[in-house]
Amino acid sequence: MIFKAQPQFTQSLLLLPETGMGYQIIDAKRYGRHTTDRFIIYNSELIVDYDNLDANKRQIVLEGYTKMLSQSSFIELDSPTLVRRSVASNIRMFSESSMKNKGRYSGGSGSVDNDPIYANGTDIFVRLSAYSDDKRIDFNKMRLKDGTYTTTEADYLTCKKYNDDPIDRYALPNDEPIKWAFYVRPKSNDKYRPGIVQPANNHNGGGIEALFDNGTSDGTYLEKKPY
Amino acid sequence: MAAKVKLPSKLIDKLADLPEQGMGYQVVNITLKNGKILVDRRIVNSTYLLLLDNEHLMTSDIENVELFK
Repeated sequence: MIFKAQPQFTQSLLLLPETGMGYQIIDAKRYGRHTTDRFIIYNSELIVDYDNLDANKRQIVLEGYTKMLSQSSFIELDSPTLVRRSVASNIRMFSESSMKNKGRYSGGSGSVDNDPIYANGTDIFVRLSAYSDDKRIDFNKMRLKDGTYTTTEADYLTCKKYNDDPIDRYALPNDEPIKWAFYVRPKSNDKYRPGIVQPANNHNGGGIEALFDNGTSDGTYLEKKPY
Repeated sequence: MAAKVKLPSKLIDKLADLPEQGMGYQVVNITLKNGKILVDRRIVNSTYLLLLDNEHLMTSDIENVELFK
């Protein structure tokens, strides 16, 4: 389950240190109960049951942080105690350490939770795919279609530099090997929403993503190269 | 490697014009011709439905697809 913190509880959380960038893991009692449950709390306001964490995270990614916060019910918690990260999940720590070594990011927010910004007209974005006939590219107008995700060329090069697994880095559901890279140079009037790939599809994410809600201008698709 | 089944061509065209939920994939509900609905499923390249373990489907079994909300 996903809940919203009472304002007073948020204030008490702000007095505690973070467990990691943007989140806290706590043990606390629900109102009227004597047992303690574990929660992960984002931005000291969105409370997520630690049990079934992967499914809850996926829901946040799909719905978006703002929407989840607005539609979640308040929960009353008492006596919060911070859980040391090493106690919460040793496995996760190893995983995050490995991620950082490969130039990945942890925490942050996905594209769906961020505001759009204009491309600068020079930066290149890349789409990775197992398929040569990428359906998200309009090959007639040489543009990305509306609602298409890419990564940045810089993050793609980092992925290659560290010989990272692109399926885990970009949290892709398909375990077929990536074979193709599609290059796009959006114009300065094209907008996109930048973000960090959130955990999904049983993968860690941590790469950079860019969502082009309105696609890109005609003539912005450059070329396809082998991965 | 996950098994997959290709969607009917009219549904591929439909999905190709709908937004993605991540690079190269969409999260959808699938309606089968027998009335069963498969919820919260992954389509890659707007073309292939990723099947679960021991799941057997054919292209002709698939009636419709909509984005999962």
